[in-house]
Amino acid sequence: MIRFAWLQSRTQTLVAAFVLAALAVVAAITGIQLSHLYATLVAHCHTGCDLATSQYLSHDQVMARALDLIAQAAPALIGLFWGAPLIAREIETGTYRLAWTQGVSRSRWVIIKLAVVGLASATLAGLLTLTITWWYGSVDKLTTTPYAVFDRRDITPVGYAVFAFAAGALLGTVIRRVLPAMAATLGAYVAARVGTALWIRPHLLSPIQTTLSLRGAGPTGQAHLGVGSQNGGAVTLFAQGDGPHNSWTLSSHLLDSAGRQPTTRQLAAFLHDYCPNFRGPGAPPPSGQGVVQVVGPDAGRPCLDQAAKAFHLLVTYQPADRYWTLQWLETGLFVALALVASAGCYWWATHRTS
Amino acid sequence: MTMAIEAFGVGRRYGRRWALTDCTLSIPAGRVVGLVGPNGAGKSTLLHLAVGLLEPSAGTISVLDQGARSGPSQLERIGFLAQDSPIYARLTVAQHVRMGQLLNRTWDAAFAASRIKNLGLDPSQRAGTMSGGQRAQLALTLAVAKRPELLVLDEPVAALDPLARREFLQTLMEIVAVEGVSVVLSSHLMADVERVCDYLVVLVAGRVALTGDVDELLALHHRLTGPRRDVARMPAHQLVIEQSHVDKQTTLIVRSQEPILDPVWNVTPVTLDDLALAYMRQARDSAGPSSNGLELAR
Repeated sequence: MIRFAWLQSRTQTLVAAFVLAALAVVAAITGIQLSHLYATLVAHCHTGCDLATSQYLSHDQVMARALDLIAQAAPALIGLFWGAPLIAREIETGTYRLAWTQGVSRSRWVIIKLAVVGLASATLAGLLTLTITWWYGSVDKLTTTPYAVFDRRDITPVGYAVFAFAAGALLGTVIRRVLPAMAATLGAYVAARVGTALWIRPHLLSPIQTTLSLRGAGPTGQAHLGVGSQNGGAVTLFAQGDGPHNSWTLSSHLLDSAGRQPTTRQLAAFLHDYCPNFRGPGAPPPSGQGVVQVVGPDAGRPCLDQAAKAFHLLVTYQPADRYWTLQWLETGLFVALALVASAGCYWWATHRTS
Repeated sequence: MTMAIEAFGVGRRYGRRWALTDCTLSIPAGRVVGLVGPNGAGKSTLLHLAVGLLEPSAGTISVLDQGARSGPSQLERIGFLAQDSPIYARLTVAQHVRMGQLLNRTWDAAFAASRIKNLGLDPSQRAGTMSGGQRAQLALTLAVAKRPELLVLDEPVAALDPLARREFLQTLMEIVAVEGVSVVLSSHLMADVERVCDYLVVLVAGRVALTGDVDELLALHHRLTGPRRDVARMPAHQLVIEQSHVDKQTTLIVRSQEPILDPVWNVTPVTLDDLALAYMRQARDSAGPSSNGLELAR
């Protein structure tokens, strides 16, 4: 049965392997150029590095965009084109009547198909993410933090791909038609990814909280403080802070000296008392839609100093050294979901499919 | 005696709709059995239940004296050719043969190779590009090369043109003659059944309307033509299956163990087609009195 599963999925696997190989070659050539460029332009640069850095970063933007897109899309494509049709196509074209009346039990047939193509999915996603993570190695260091590309580097794409495949297989078995199953798979995949990023990933490990002093804080720096209005609304105090270098800031908000979050009214009262310059309509230049107009350090210094005395910032974040723990946890979560979906697919195919 | 298919009170429901209800039948092994019935009679459902693709919602069904879903060794005993001969459009003929070999321990590679050769199929051709007749022949080859004890064919020639149909049935008869395999073949066309089958099962609305050896059935039934007569006055041993009256003439199909001696009747033999149709009508009329209420009252 394993050899038949291979026979059936050979073409798609070879096509994928070919695309992967071509991509790897292109990535290898451009990646080596890139790291050479990094070594000559950036690595030994000590002063006035901006020009060198931007020259280095603009070197291969097409490749960078393409690889980022592939990293983002590959798991979904695996779910759509390998997962959804796995059993749906057999049902839609009627070949299940041929497949499930050979001398191999249906349970065995389903398990082996899931295992063989699922393993191929994991391998493909693994090699892809290996290539892409390697290529991006030095670029990421300059342009972003590890958490910002958490779902496109290292091992999480493997978890996503395995999940997308299994979800596709399950939905295909239940829906019994390839195209609707593909649409449903895309929906389920996007929902799972967005849901995880918004509601689960921040809480996989209980985040660390720290308080930041606002003394000396201005519109820039680790803690930002300013007065302004948003969308032309009332003038208020804005503050935001980041966790330590390369950490993932989940939230930050103002606390008063008693450790409570000030209400809008309290803030208005504070501004009334200490920042009379900013009171009244039009006192700060009205900002554009959705933009926070932060008043510069000179004009509002006394006001900001008062604010720094009255308030501090509470920052909630995941520290940089948890990156790999979170990578493993999220990958594990998606692999577990994939196993659940596979079990569902197996049950449905053996019990509910005619 | 081994039974090819034996069903007791078998029913199968799809959602709320019953495709087959309370079906009880015995189909003997060692025969070429024609399973005949109108569209929607539940033939496909019954055969899918027999080969284990479906599980019955009610009752029990056994094939070759074993539960239909008793595992891969049972699957190996049955060669199934589903309706429209499903094959993998993207696999070649040779890959289909390879599939049969990989999935069946009992696979007869020499038989498969010689059949492909005799049929003139190109092993490197993709199955999706073959004609309907070639597909059916390939599917039959796959079903037979696993050396089953029983061949189950679901409407094997329904989609074929007359020439391909004749060739397919010819192949089937050769295989039956040489390999001695039992066959259950469903069809809604009597001509096909008449050509190859020696045993007939007529299924109407999930119920067996008629079953028996073809020669015996033909010997048992007679067409009587004579002056108009009330069927109530027929002798008890002559069971009237169908009657039609025109002016002064009555035509009957009767079942009788004894010869018809009454000289008023002109007795002629019935064809298998007549017989199956007569029983189908009878079963339909007795099953659905509401639909004929008007006709009877008139």
